[in-house]
Amino acid sequence: MANTTKKSGIGKHIISFAFMIALTIAAFYLVINNVVSKGWILPLILILAVIQVILQLFTFMHLDQKGSNYYTFFMIVGIFVAVISAIGIIVM
Amino acid sequence: MATLLVIIVFALFLTAILTGGYNKKFFARVKDTKVWDWITTVDHKKIGILYFISGIFFFLIGGIEAIFMRLQLAFPDSNLFVGDVFNQLLTMHGTTMIFLAAMPMIFGLMNAVVPLQIGARDVAFPFVNALGFWLFFFGGLLLNLSWIFGGAPDAGWTSYTSLALNNYSPGPGVDYYVLGLQIAGIGTLIGGLNFIATIINMRAPGMSFLRLPMFTWTVFVTSALILFAFPPLTVALLLLMFDRIFGANFFDYAMGGSTVIWEHLFWIFGHPEVYIVILPAFGVMSEVISTFSRKRLFGYTSMVFATVLIGFLGFMVWVHHMFTVGLGPVSNSVFAVATMAIAVPTGIKVFNWLFTMWGGEIRFTTPMLWAVGFIPTFVMGGMTGVMLALPPADYQYQDSYFVVAHFHYVLVGGTVFGLFAGLYYWWPKMFGKMLSERLGKWHFWLFAIGFHLTFFPQHFLGLFGMPRRVFTYHSNLGLDTLNLLSSIGVIGMALGTIILGVAIYRSFLSKEQAPADPWDGRTLEWTIASPPPEYNFAQTPLIRSYDAFWVAKEQKTQIEPAEPLAPIHMPSSSYLPIMMSLGLFIAGFGFITRGIEVSILGVAITLLMMFLRSFEQDHGYHIDPRPIREEKGAKV
Amino acid sequence: MSAQTETTTKDAPLHLETATFEGKNKVLGFWLFLGAETVLFACLFGTYLALRHQTLPGQPTGKELFDLNLVALATAFLLTSSLTSVLAMHYMNQQRKGLMQLWLGITVLLGLAFLVLEIYEFVHYVHEGHTFMSSAFGSSFYALVGTHGAHVTFGIVWISTLMLQAARRGITKETAPKLFVSSLYWHFIDVVWVFIFTLVYLLGKVG
Repeated sequence: MANTTKKSGIGKHIISFAFMIALTIAAFYLVINNVVSKGWILPLILILAVIQVILQLFTFMHLDQKGSNYYTFFMIVGIFVAVISAIGIIVM
Repeated sequence: MATLLVIIVFALFLTAILTGGYNKKFFARVKDTKVWDWITTVDHKKIGILYFISGIFFFLIGGIEAIFMRLQLAFPDSNLFVGDVFNQLLTMHGTTMIFLAAMPMIFGLMNAVVPLQIGARDVAFPFVNALGFWLFFFGGLLLNLSWIFGGAPDAGWTSYTSLALNNYSPGPGVDYYVLGLQIAGIGTLIGGLNFIATIINMRAPGMSFLRLPMFTWTVFVTSALILFAFPPLTVALLLLMFDRIFGANFFDYAMGGSTVIWEHLFWIFGHPEVYIVILPAFGVMSEVISTFSRKRLFGYTSMVFATVLIGFLGFMVWVHHMFTVGLGPVSNSVFAVATMAIAVPTGIKVFNWLFTMWGGEIRFTTPMLWAVGFIPTFVMGGMTGVMLALPPADYQYQDSYFVVAHFHYVLVGGTVFGLFAGLYYWWPKMFGKMLSERLGKWHFWLFAIGFHLTFFPQHFLGLFGMPRRVFTYHSNLGLDTLNLLSSIGVIGMALGTIILGVAIYRSFLSKEQAPADPWDGRTLEWTIASPPPEYNFAQTPLIRSYDAFWVAKEQKTQIEPAEPLAPIHMPSSSYLPIMMSLGLFIAGFGFITRGIEVSILGVAITLLMMFLRSFEQDHGYHIDPRPIREEKGAKV
Repeated sequence: MSAQTETTTKDAPLHLETATFEGKNKVLGFWLFLGAETVLFACLFGTYLALRHQTLPGQPTGKELFDLNLVALATAFLLTSSLTSVLAMHYMNQQRKGLMQLWLGITVLLGLAFLVLEIYEFVHYVHEGHTFMSSAFGSSFYALVGTHGAHVTFGIVWISTLMLQAARRGITKETAPKLFVSSLYWHFIDVVWVFIFTLVYLLGKVG
């Protein structure tokens, strides 16, 4: 059994997980300690959330692998519709 | 609810007695019947027929509701169907026609045609396909049971809040709407999902995306629209259910709720829904016009592009249904521009159809008549659509008969004409029998003239100030003659539909088998027998061009097979889809009657069936096509 | 159909979940389903964000209610369960059933822990006067977070069922795609939670 490939697979996931935890802690830290002004807080924590979700999609959910083009395409369309709908409901 | 259980048990006993008493052979006997075969089928061709027949059935119900409304409106101050009853009629007419007539007829054509057009043996998920049908069917049944048990929904097909809340719509009517549509909507959603997966994964070798027949392309885009547009409806119905049954406050202004959220959710779904029902009609038109002009579809690539663009823009225009809500000039302007932009890809399509006919050897068969009748009718609906897209003008038109005329020109002149074209075109492939051309032409002329007579005057009724959804009008307001004309037109549509019924009846009686390729077709479905064998293609074809069958006929060759003759894998039929749907049906009934125990029972049935499905080890069975092939001499 | 011929090489293929034609369909179909779920949750998020300030006078607001320590703990559970789920898939593709079952078991336990926290939280809120029926804020909060919780519940039941199947039949070309899509589902639940703790709790705390 190829020991190296096994290691790298798990290693990638652990690193990705560490990033997710760090992003989560950063978001909580920003809110709890009132680091930035109120207007900036929402965009900042949203960006942190988006980065974390991209990590989930491309590492844990394997969208980085070959043959994922259709999945990625339909997820992007779904996210597009989702964002438009949510913003529409909130803003209007 | 105990009554219900007693009735069910009693019905089971009765079946047992009538079929020869309960004994060990009972189940074997049941499994041999035709009915069992149909309710457990996972074959896309049979499911297509089930969808289509149920669609026609609900089309008749919705049509009868329309006839009642036009009877009431034929003369001023009449009191045939007044107030609540009229509201129920108009609500059920709209809901039935959109969700229970147009959608299943489209799904019927999709099921019957798409796997054949892409050279596949079945859809990607045959089980899910059956489940989708039964969910739709039980959802529709639940909705229509409201007529018998407690009164039909009466808040309009859009079911706007606050009108649809308990305070203003007491009684179970709107509950039937919520639960019925929820169940049918889940079925539609998984049906759409299935067709995307089918078109991506099940294409025959060589059938690249730019060799897909146009109908398959429109089904692909439609399915994507279904996939992303139905979740907002699911949420909207869920929230309305919470408000009505569980005391939530999403739409209750006094408790901080917002009625505009319902409108947003409904129209985020509702506008793509319009394209969901029109795009497959566009696809049918493209196939029919190309076939009966004996020409390659003009501008195929631009047609594909236009279809995708319409689907894409469809998600960015929902606010044009809400111009008069008062969302502000910026919102209104943005959505007005986006709406008008849709006229561009639609125009591309219309011109492509015209150019396909230009210089072609046109044969005016029944499907072609519908297609040719479709173009001017639909263009009129499109023009009034652009008029309505202007917010200042919309303030004048809104909630008048002008809007009614507009969307009937699009939905009847577009979708229904398209579905009829598809019906006459693919009937021989679905049932193996031809529909009478003579009766078909009568059907077309009566229906088309009746349609225009009904809806053309309604433009003017709207401009003269007649509001929609109101059950009467006074005399001497200048509305009498046009309303009478409009009601007379219904006779034409009704007669046309009766003639269609006669034609269908005669086709079933006729002994004559339809040929494999009755129309001199261009696409793969015409290469196999009518109706196709259950495995469709004895050998999967190898595709080398667009319109592969036509090219092969031109070159006097045959489409090459992509594989040797070998036993064909088939999925086994299953009783689980109908049981899962029945479970949700029971659960829905429980919610409507506020019998939560019954709902829990229903959901438990569904979950149990899902559990059984998960543990089922079912590898299907194999058919050996070789002996069949030698007997029938079927060509591949 | 040519695509239906399975790649039955002797050594296990790298991606068992897409080794068969049915498996490929299943994974694609499930991604499409997740696309639809994305829109579904977006609508719930939109509704919540539009109504989140709509409390009646005297009722607790989000700022007063939310306890970030509890949320942080729940987040830790769910994020970790996402990692354990992906580890389980890793061992599934290596045909190591014992390790896969172990990580799946931990995933389920973490999911249960999350669920217990959520139920505790809801009970606490109800005592504070923040209920499904108290205001539009209450309705939309429970609709969004509750729908997510229902997804977690379903995921727990589903993964447990599949563990049972794997125990009986082992890791085969039939069970692998099921395990894989359940893992996708679990990650998706985590993705939704990321937005819930950001847009419901953190934003609620900001005000």
